[in-house]
Amino acid sequence: MRTKKHTPYLYMLPGVLMVLFFVYIPVLMNIGYSFFRLSSYSAGATFVGIDNYKRLFSDQVFPIMLKNNIAYCVISLIVQVGFGTILALILESSAIGDRFKSFFRNLYYIPALISLTAVGLMFTFIYEPNIGFINNLLRAFDLPTYGWLGDSKLAIYCVIAMSQWQFTGYITLLMVVAFQNVPQDYLEAAAIDGAGPIRRAISIMIPQAKEQLLVCTIITVIGAFKLYTEVYATTGGGPGNSSQVMGLFLYQQAFLHDDLGMAAVTGVFIFIITVTLSIIQIRVTKSGQD
Amino acid sequence: MKKTWMKKALCGMLAGVMMLSATACSGGGSETASTTAAGGEAQGGAAPAAPAASGDQKVIKFMHRFPDEPYNSFIEGKLHEYEASHPDIKFEITSAQNQEYKEKIKIVVGGDDTPDIFFSWVGDFTERFIREGLILDLGPYLEADPEWKDSLIESQMEQYTNKDGMVYGIPFRLDCKLFFYNKKMFDDNGLQAPKTWDELIAACETLKAAGITPIAFGNQEPWSASHYMGTLNQIFVPDEVRAKDYDPTSGEFTDPGYIEALEHYQALLPYMTENPNGVKPDMSRTNFVMELGAMYYAELIEIPYIKMDNPEMEFGMFNFPKVEGAKGNQDILTGVPEGFVVSSKTQYPDECVEFLKWFLGKEVGTQQCQEIGWFNAAKGTTEGLTDTALLDGYQAVMDAKAMSAWLDNALYSTVCDEYLTTVSDLTNGDITPQEAMAKIQAKAKEAQTLVGTTTQQ
Amino acid sequence: MKKLSVNILLNLLCVVLGIIIVAPLAWILLNSLKTNQELFKDSLALPSVWQFGNYVKAWNLGLYRYFGNSLLVSLISLTGILVTSSFLAYGLTRFRAKGSNIIFIIVLGGMALSEQVALVPLYKILRALKIYDTYAAVILPYIAFRIPFTVFLMRAYFISIPAELEEAAVVDGYNSLQIFTKIIIPISKPIFASCAIVNLNFVWNEFLFANVFLNNKALQTIPIGLMTFKGDLKIDYTTTLAGLMIASAPLIILFICMSRQFVRGLTSGAVKG
Repeated sequence: MRTKKHTPYLYMLPGVLMVLFFVYIPVLMNIGYSFFRLSSYSAGATFVGIDNYKRLFSDQVFPIMLKNNIAYCVISLIVQVGFGTILALILESSAIGDRFKSFFRNLYYIPALISLTAVGLMFTFIYEPNIGFINNLLRAFDLPTYGWLGDSKLAIYCVIAMSQWQFTGYITLLMVVAFQNVPQDYLEAAAIDGAGPIRRAISIMIPQAKEQLLVCTIITVIGAFKLYTEVYATTGGGPGNSSQVMGLFLYQQAFLHDDLGMAAVTGVFIFIITVTLSIIQIRVTKSGQD
Repeated sequence: MKKTWMKKALCGMLAGVMMLSATACSGGGSETASTTAAGGEAQGGAAPAAPAASGDQKVIKFMHRFPDEPYNSFIEGKLHEYEASHPDIKFEITSAQNQEYKEKIKIVVGGDDTPDIFFSWVGDFTERFIREGLILDLGPYLEADPEWKDSLIESQMEQYTNKDGMVYGIPFRLDCKLFFYNKKMFDDNGLQAPKTWDELIAACETLKAAGITPIAFGNQEPWSASHYMGTLNQIFVPDEVRAKDYDPTSGEFTDPGYIEALEHYQALLPYMTENPNGVKPDMSRTNFVMELGAMYYAELIEIPYIKMDNPEMEFGMFNFPKVEGAKGNQDILTGVPEGFVVSSKTQYPDECVEFLKWFLGKEVGTQQCQEIGWFNAAKGTTEGLTDTALLDGYQAVMDAKAMSAWLDNALYSTVCDEYLTTVSDLTNGDITPQEAMAKIQAKAKEAQTLVGTTTQQ
Repeated sequence: MKKLSVNILLNLLCVVLGIIIVAPLAWILLNSLKTNQELFKDSLALPSVWQFGNYVKAWNLGLYRYFGNSLLVSLISLTGILVTSSFLAYGLTRFRAKGSNIIFIIVLGGMALSEQVALVPLYKILRALKIYDTYAAVILPYIAFRIPFTVFLMRAYFISIPAELEEAAVVDGYNSLQIFTKIIIPISKPIFASCAIVNLNFVWNEFLFANVFLNNKALQTIPIGLMTFKGDLKIDYTTTLAGLMIASAPLIILFICMSRQFVRGLTSGAVKG
């Protein structure tokens, strides 16, 4: 192409500048902060070396939130990506009448259209022990009731369940779309060869939609370690610290306890996890492309 | 030629991005005069706010934590009234509810947009700002105007005076913690307001046997339990020990009284709303109002909420029952006034103080207790007030020999967090009182090393 | 025979899932039309009088303002994300420019950096730039944080576009921008649609930045506005529920009306590498 040498860089410039300025610089600053003790309303900062790191790793909340983030990640992968994909296959199979296919698909997608905080607030009512939907339903059938968000063993799973309710249909929709793009002649050829619906799904549809599946996995995994809003709007990390997650912990350290250093360390830790996971996933994508 | 065209387009786009940010900035900037009032009024307020910035008008940023009605309207109405009588003053009002306010205020204080006048709690909540030199000492202003000083209730002003003698705030609403009880439920079961701990437990037993939840309680926001713990700590831990422990530089929490306090809290749990950690505190008040609980450890300022939800309900009040043989101070009434402080960075300290004299004085105070059911700290505001519940509550505050700050505001933030967390765990039965205190002791020790380090330089 | 029973089971599964999705929303809707007393008495019962006034009250508390803010912020952010990302991806893929691999890796690295990590420094930067508590305070970070993922998706798509198309265009005398607007964009509509949806979902829901960077009620977006709204009402639970329904309804209605076009737009090309 007859273009000047700098032309491609002009196209890249705005995006690259934005990323450098608003993503990289803050993250580097954050790594710097993690070695200081500083608060949001005072100018002073004291260099404390790796003291903040020691405090984070020895904090009794640390294993709890790590466990909660991992639980959220694993369950979301199984339910949203795993079951969501199966659901998409079911919706694309001949089992469901054509008219109902789009109806169910749209219905399942509706929760994803509701704002996260709205869902969080709705579920605080739904889980409420005295007047809430679930306990009242259980009472109506004479079943034992629970404290849900108030029960330290259940709280985080209540939050996770809420997310599955909200986002499984989202993944299902994305997967349905991918499956619809699988060339029809592949499927017909397989059918002629005598492959049943399950066989066709495993050997043709899923491999053909591999890219989309990876994108869904990336969204889900990174989302799990950034988790914040869902917990903030429901339990606030409680009861006790039982539903604490790293994203909320960071926020609370920074803006409730004025411990910006500790917040920065938590940020660095989230950074290490997400970078590692992303590298693994990109590797997998690359090897898939080859 | 084509390339220059393309370059122009690219530059144009870049400029577009810049413009976008620029317009967004200025658009936002001119609207910074927040409008918190409801509906159309809000929009009317936003537009003329922009031109006011320059020249002779003094813009005072005012931040409060009462965005719900009717309190918001009352406060904003008073501010607008003041603007009308003082054309040189213009308020910029922002507000947020309790928990959000605690977060927001820490974000804005200390920066360029520190509010000139803002709500702040008594105790370490404000002390931490004082340690950074961010709060104006009102002492000299009070000394300079004896008439103003004498018009305020001394016992309440004491709460806003720190140990160095600095007066850092003026109360906006008086408050204290009292047990409210449902008169009908008590009468039906032949009960009277308990005076001692044993009577309280006996009353709970009777109510529970009658199929009534004795105490409505919600602890999904864990400050709620801290009100019980604050009172129980006063009952079981001697004053000087508590004072030493609540000070972040010397806190240890090794006194056995703290464990006794937790044990007594634990003893109440069987009589409280089931799964309290799943119930929001305001929800538990509504439970009391809807007659789903016979008692409720309430704040004085909650009376208007109760009246709003169920005007017919008859309720009485009693002080937290006495525990025989406890080593602490049983004369303390838990609760402190809540009020406003002035930023030390304000451009207009005199104007701010002048405004507070009026806003937190007798004239507004008299209207305040009649219109929204809250008392300020000016003397003689109850004239013409007929609501007996309010008058009873007011009397309780006036009769108190001593008052104390809320536990969650008295403690250093990390210690407080640990206290609330462990009490929440204790409520669920996940840990014992001994384990809880061990955790709090560890945090208190850590706090000793944390406090003050950020203030260096 | 066996196939039929499997089909029935699968249909049943879909219906049950449908009920799980709808039931909580139906319960919220039901209680948003009651009084507080009725909610506390029996949250499963029908109201004696349907309280449509709750909706009027919620609306009058200024929910529309949050909605407008969300719309504005989302539209500007989305445009910004799509324009900068597609330019960036175009520059990366269609010129064989030196160093484009390194640039790609740098940009892609941003994908792993989460918003939390940048929160505190960004807050200080925004304050220093004097745009804290303005629309720009959320829009600029939104755009920046979504570029990496969007570029990742677009680059994969642009690479797959055959070079012959461009060569033909060059013969016709098109310059690079014309090639981009007249050839690349029309072919890439599906990827633009996919990116728009994924990013809209992010921007519409974003809470962390909005919560910290937008203090002024007049600027708040729906997610943070709803928290404020809940605080403003405090104990009027049924009106709160009505407000939640109002805040959720527009997108749902829009989706139901547009679902056919929406899915068709997606189907004409999903995220494909």
